[in-house]
Amino acid sequence: MKKLIFLGCLSNSKYKKTCTNAIKIIQSIDPSYSVLDDVPCCGALSYHIGNDIELREHVEYVNAWFKKNDITEIVTTCAGCYNYLTTYYAQYLGQDFKVKVKHFLQFLAEPENLSKIELKHSGKKLKVSYHDACHLRNAVLPIIDEPRRILNSIENVELKEMENIKTNSICCGAGGGVYSIFKENSDYNSKLIFDQLNRGKLLLTACPFCYTSLSRIREENQIRKPVKKFEDFIVNIMEGVDPLSE
Amino acid sequence: MNESGKGLYEKVKNRIKASQEEGTLEKQFGDFWKFACVIKTRQHDLRYLYDDTSREFVDKYRDNFIEMREEFVNNIDAYVEKCINIMRKKNFTVHYAKTNEQAQKIFMEELGDSKIIYKSKSNEAKDIGIIDVLKKNEITIKETDLGDVLVQLFDYKLPSFQVGPGAHFTEEEIAKKIKEVYGVELEPKAQAIVNYFRSTYRNELLNDVKISLTSANAISAEEGTIVLGENEGNISLITRATDKHIVVCGITKIVPNILDAVLVTQLQSRINNVSFNYISLISGPSNTSDIQGTSVQGMYGAKEVVVILVDDWRTKAAKENLIYADFLKCLGCKSCIFPCTASRAFGNIYASKYGLGATAIIRDYIHNGIEAAVSDGLFLCTGCENCYHWCPVSINCGEILKSMKKEATEKGLAPPDLEQYKEKILKDKNPFL
Repeated sequence: MKKLIFLGCLSNSKYKKTCTNAIKIIQSIDPSYSVLDDVPCCGALSYHIGNDIELREHVEYVNAWFKKNDITEIVTTCAGCYNYLTTYYAQYLGQDFKVKVKHFLQFLAEPENLSKIELKHSGKKLKVSYHDACHLRNAVLPIIDEPRRILNSIENVELKEMENIKTNSICCGAGGGVYSIFKENSDYNSKLIFDQLNRGKLLLTACPFCYTSLSRIREENQIRKPVKKFEDFIVNIMEGVDPLSE
Repeated sequence: MNESGKGLYEKVKNRIKASQEEGTLEKQFGDFWKFACVIKTRQHDLRYLYDDTSREFVDKYRDNFIEMREEFVNNIDAYVEKCINIMRKKNFTVHYAKTNEQAQKIFMEELGDSKIIYKSKSNEAKDIGIIDVLKKNEITIKETDLGDVLVQLFDYKLPSFQVGPGAHFTEEEIAKKIKEVYGVELEPKAQAIVNYFRSTYRNELLNDVKISLTSANAISAEEGTIVLGENEGNISLITRATDKHIVVCGITKIVPNILDAVLVTQLQSRINNVSFNYISLISGPSNTSDIQGTSVQGMYGAKEVVVILVDDWRTKAAKENLIYADFLKCLGCKSCIFPCTASRAFGNIYASKYGLGATAIIRDYIHNGIEAAVSDGLFLCTGCENCYHWCPVSINCGEILKSMKKEATEKGLAPPDLEQYKEKILKDKNPFL
């Protein structure tokens, strides 16, 4: 019976610091969560183009890996992993998929977990905006209220909603593998998201795919307001670091 | 990826490149379209006219829309039969065409010796292949909706927005074109351009139309009534001041009753920001019984109203539960286009000859196969499912396109990077190794 932090391939290969931060938050709430090496990919990008036979094989392989390592609960830090693990694993495996899957935002938003870490921003009142990633808002169990509950619970932080939010949010343009082939999609749509950041001083996202797209667009367009991953933001708050300073 | 896949991939890449370059037709349309989409998806959309936004309007009637579509899709045969029966009783000439080819043949027979046809926008006629057949038979197609008139004037070949196909032309461009084609100098102002067409074309529409072609926004099965919404008055003119009005549409235009039909028409008006200042409810040809109570057809309006209801892919999709079966519920409101990530970014690159966006690509797939869909930009879809969230009947075009992407991959048509990711995931269990 093991609890696993499922970091996801993208974060694990490109965003090591975010992984460290996610582990820090999760383990400070529940030290029984562990991290393992050689965690297989959930399969995310292949679902758009893979056939039923190969996808089933992959899902069965990952499920066998969970069983072999006696994993019963996981917290994913990747929006894509959360979406695919909750959608396709149940679809292909039915009752044979017994792992309880939670996303980092769901885990953190639970009242008893939120109460275990003191989230207080010590500085000038900070206005932030949150971008609803497709992977989270479209999931079988959508994650829409959780980030808002978390942000509203942080003293001295104010959530300034953008115009298109929740199921109405603008997609960053990077999903479905499109980022690797036609970046022009994210050129336009990620910029559109920044354009909606009227009163927020900081853009938060809980999806590493969105972050990859948004941070590139920010750099290319020399946008001053930063984009930050949710885990990094929470650790900043926990450690009294100004989230705008990094 | 095979040679055909490489070719299609390069084609899409080149078109995207064109859409990024100043001065190209693709860029011009793209800029206009980006603006239209942003306006449409903003939270205050249409608040200046109504108490609610069009998205709120959709949410308010969502249950009604879903119920009327499911009722139809679950009982297609019964609704088609009911609709045809009542229409025949009301003196419509009704044809039921099992295939597009049959519909085209019937249409040409109905056209007889006529070499000219006046039409108002009819996406269904395109879907059914009527336009291609008319062109092949060298029948002159006279567009009457100003947007389509402009598209004809400019000989614009790229896909455009079905509802306002000429909306991206500037006043200066139109005035210049009119000078070039008709030799008339106009002030480059919308009013002057409209005045020009009113003074030159309206008389022709009132006096010369013998055969006209429209689709239908909806058809009510209970009353046998065709509903047509418009803002210009062209549909009113060409469906009244004509000998024969031919309506061509898929059987999916049928809804249970007239209230449903009007609600669907209002939905289309709200979503597309087109004020339907005229809504025609046509329940048969013009007639009078003023002489001794004898019913005589063809008083001042159309002498004959011909309805060609086409099945083609529709019943098959329902019965065999094909990947696009859900598309049968489509109300043609185009809610899915404006919030679409790919449509916003790529305009008329993510499109087919049937129009913009996912639904037009699905139509191309149905009629012309997977290669056509890949060429239309199938792989530009991010799967964000905004189409699903906005759709009044919750059709998930993203899911339909995903099934199409899988078919494309099986046939070696997926872009190379995507295939590599898939291979790495399935073999190495990590796409970033």
